[in-house]
Amino acid sequence: QLTPSSLLRIGQLSNVDLNEDIHELETELPRQRPNEIPHNEKLLSLKYESLDYDNSENQLFLEEERRINHAAFRTVEIKRWVICAMIGILTGLVACFIDIVVENLAGLKYRVVKDNIDKFTAKGGLSFSLLLWATLNASVVMVGSMIVAFIEPVAAGSGIPQIKCYLNGVKIPHVVRLKTLVIKVCGVILSVVGGLAVGKEGPMIHSGSVIAAGISQGRSTSLKRDFKIFEYFRRDTEKRDFVSAGAAAGVSAAFGAPVGGVLFSLEEGASFWNQFLTWRIFFASMISTFTLNSVLSVYHGNAWDLSSPGLINFGRFDSEKMGYTIQEIPIFIFMGVVGGILGALFNALNYWLTMFRIRYIHRPCLQVVEAMLVAAVTATVGFVMIYCSRDCQPIQGSSVAYPLQLFCADGEYNSMATAFFNTPEKSVVNLFHDPPGSYNPMTLGMFTLMYFFLACWTYGLTVSAGVFIPSLLIGAAWGRLFGISLSYLTKGSIWADPGKYALMGAAAQLGGIVRMTLSLTVIMMEATGNVTYGFPIMLVLMTAKIVGDYFVEGLYDMHIQLQSVPFLHWEAPVTSHSLTAREVMSTPVTCLRRIERVGTVVDILSDTSSNHNGFPVVESNPDTTQVAGLRGLILRSQLIVLLKHKVFVERANLNLVQRRLKLKDFRDAYPRFPPIQSIHVSQDERECMIDLSEFMNPSPYTVPQEASLPRVFKLFRALGLRHLVVVDNRNEVVGMVTRKDLARYRLGKEGLEELSLAQT
Amino acid sequence: CRVLLPALALALLGLAATVGPRQTLALEVAEELAEELWSAGLPGDLPELEPECRSLLAAFAEGSAALTGCLGRRARPVRLCQDCHDHYRRLLAQYGSIARAVGNSSESHNCAKSILTSDRLQIVVTLSEFFNETWEAANCANCLKNNSEGLSNSTEEFLDLFNKSLTCFEHNLQGQAIDLSPNNYTEVCKNCNETYTKLNDLYNHLQRMNRQGGESGHSAHLCIDVEDAMNITRKLWSRTFNCSFPCSDTVPVIAVSSFILFLPIVFYLSSFLHSKQKKRILILPKRIQSNASLVNIQEKYS
Repeated sequence: QLTPSSLLRIGQLSNVDLNEDIHELETELPRQRPNEIPHNEKLLSLKYESLDYDNSENQLFLEEERRINHAAFRTVEIKRWVICAMIGILTGLVACFIDIVVENLAGLKYRVVKDNIDKFTAKGGLSFSLLLWATLNASVVMVGSMIVAFIEPVAAGSGIPQIKCYLNGVKIPHVVRLKTLVIKVCGVILSVVGGLAVGKEGPMIHSGSVIAAGISQGRSTSLKRDFKIFEYFRRDTEKRDFVSAGAAAGVSAAFGAPVGGVLFSLEEGASFWNQFLTWRIFFASMISTFTLNSVLSVYHGNAWDLSSPGLINFGRFDSEKMGYTIQEIPIFIFMGVVGGILGALFNALNYWLTMFRIRYIHRPCLQVVEAMLVAAVTATVGFVMIYCSRDCQPIQGSSVAYPLQLFCADGEYNSMATAFFNTPEKSVVNLFHDPPGSYNPMTLGMFTLMYFFLACWTYGLTVSAGVFIPSLLIGAAWGRLFGISLSYLTKGSIWADPGKYALMGAAAQLGGIVRMTLSLTVIMMEATGNVTYGFPIMLVLMTAKIVGDYFVEGLYDMHIQLQSVPFLHWEAPVTSHSLTAREVMSTPVTCLRRIERVGTVVDILSDTSSNHNGFPVVESNPDTTQVAGLRGLILRSQLIVLLKHKVFVERANLNLVQRRLKLKDFRDAYPRFPPIQSIHVSQDERECMIDLSEFMNPSPYTVPQEASLPRVFKLFRALGLRHLVVVDNRNEVVGMVTRKDLARYRLGKEGLEELSLAQT
Repeated sequence: CRVLLPALALALLGLAATVGPRQTLALEVAEELAEELWSAGLPGDLPELEPECRSLLAAFAEGSAALTGCLGRRARPVRLCQDCHDHYRRLLAQYGSIARAVGNSSESHNCAKSILTSDRLQIVVTLSEFFNETWEAANCANCLKNNSEGLSNSTEEFLDLFNKSLTCFEHNLQGQAIDLSPNNYTEVCKNCNETYTKLNDLYNHLQRMNRQGGESGHSAHLCIDVEDAMNITRKLWSRTFNCSFPCSDTVPVIAVSSFILFLPIVFYLSSFLHSKQKKRILILPKRIQSNASLVNIQEKYS
């Protein structure tokens, strides 16, 4: 039996024979590398394919464009706005749903546990309360983790890396399906209620994107419903634009930051941007936060008040003592440095953990068990901290939702419990706004330490949950500690409100972990509702990013890399000008002739060893004197539709075809084209011919062999291509450059590195 | 003439003010005129306040003095709502009658205008706002009846119980020497436990009722009297008498928590040892390997 690699080697050898003109062959390359290696970060997975952002300008497309008149294009423009409004409304509603359900379920859980603790404090037997808390957490998280692990693994995590990849042009399987949305929403609710160190804000971005992708298509393949609307938008380019709007709407609903949402989409998400899109995306964001605001204010009983613009409200920072003076700016910058270092530490720890998880904990049941253990340990750590804490604060005048008395005197509550015995969102707001003296430094120190490790351990579990809130919480805790110690050190001469430092710490920590700059500044500014904080927050985030980037890259980029996604950054690696298209491309290329035998097409498509998606079409000249020049490019999906509709030359001649194929037939099959195995082609039909000239893209982008890698990269990246044909000077196809060919060059620590392709 | 002179002075003053600082001459003239008037023994407060208004103002002043006195005297231990609500209600009425009252002479001379809004300071408004805010902050409405005539039933009940427990404390303490060590209040703890628990339960009950009635969560406090009474009792109980000794069962808690904390270690170790490490199958790319690229890559590696 031949292993795939030996097959490939044979393929390469035969390739050598065929292409005599290529003299530098693989001769001295040491190939002793094992075929099976443990997972590492220098791999590219074959699982991921590109999206087709390049419009196929075939004859069908031209016909359709001729048919649609000018007025119809205007309605298309109006439809875009309608879709954006709907994206905003639905995203807002989903956010409301998550918020309300989490509030109620978490409230129920904390009440049950609190009653239990109160009962056992008097009688003894607190270990039962601990067990109750741990079991409740673990069982809720078990459900949340099970639906993710067994039903839709792509819903795990915050979803921001996935959306980032999607907007970059990588097709992540299942990422924008309705099923994913349902699992994501339920998963978020369950993991927050389960008391994990997670937030519900990050997943909103993913949810918004799925909603956008769903609405813009006017149908759901999961539900098998087609509303027959928005058919014009059924292609990757249009969908991508709406998905960026959805991501923005998600951020906007999560933080009540519409401008921040647009900028997030611009900075983190969209790799492709156009000016008109900005205004539409802003519209979607505004609608989203407004919907959330109005629905939540009705829910809270003060309609028309519009006081809760986001899932998390940082509260108002406008009192006088919250202001800052110019002398404090160096202090803020120092906090940025601390945030950068801590963020880098967080990322480095999470990197090792994720690597371990990918290598060893890959079975779904193990993942569920791990999530349950984390939940139980989180509860235990919280309980032990509360148990050991002797930091009691008077209950009067404080706004603690679930005051736990435990060993405090009557009428007092345990201050550690406000931090641990609460949903993370509430804890963040408490840390920002509780009056000075609500926490003693010991409590804050222990809390920061514990929560840092818990959050780091939690991110990357098979639950859907975000990292925004835990980061903010860690930062707010050490920031507040910093503020308190500052006023100690200076003997109260800077008697500043520690809440201000908590805010800066939160910004620094979040910036140190995710390394966002512009959008995070604006999000924090909008969430605090204070424009004057813009300057210190910007400085803090800037320092955090600079310091953090010195050590290790951002969390999302790290996870994208660990998932072996062929992600294309803005620029090619700087030292890669000596590489040419010849070395980058894959060769030989499977080409189709313009009029091709059906049997050949079916065989090529069914070949599992070469799962190609684009095929250059060459002139089908029977005499060999002429060179087979490149005529066009056809995609696998188009071929499948053609085979399905049996558009064969012979049938056309016999007038068997009822109607001509239209662009609509291709759109109806989008985005889930049937696999080749499901298409039945009889033995007779295999002998038929198929004429591709009507359907292929007659003008694919090509580059000469001598083009340098940065040049190829720029073309590929800027146009969002999927296939780039390399031709020689006779217009003969020499090779094909795809995303994986470009993404494998990366600037590592020692210079240019080449990643290997791997089956995952 | 007695009426005319001040009017003239006023007019001059007004003129000086409107014409601006350059016309200092007019201002000086007006000042001189006013001084003359003053030295002539004319009444300093100009007859702009009608007698009825003046009486209303006087009533308000007295009422606010009484209320202030009451608030100050009842500040510790807090008895604001119980003892001062009469004063407060009266003051509200007085303020209301000022705001509503219309002098009988002409439209422009109604009391509300001349007392409340005719100067920059507006002291009456400030005072009344202060009292209202204090009342709001103390949440007194919470323990008064709906028409705020007297305490509500639940508050009465609570205060009864509060007094009862205080007497209980006193009784039980009298039997002992005053200079006992702080740990030796067991007598009190034993005898008054019942009343204290009742009081505590009632308080918690009231709080829960209040929270359900109030629209937005924890912002609704009970009235300050009740809160403070409970606070004092709780402090006495758990700080001074040291009566609440929660059972600290540290050993089982440590056992259970260390068991739970131990589980992940077992889990990770076992999955490290027993789970099969996931291997990736490398795919050899189909591409021309030129020397140039090799050199390029390997140079960077070495």
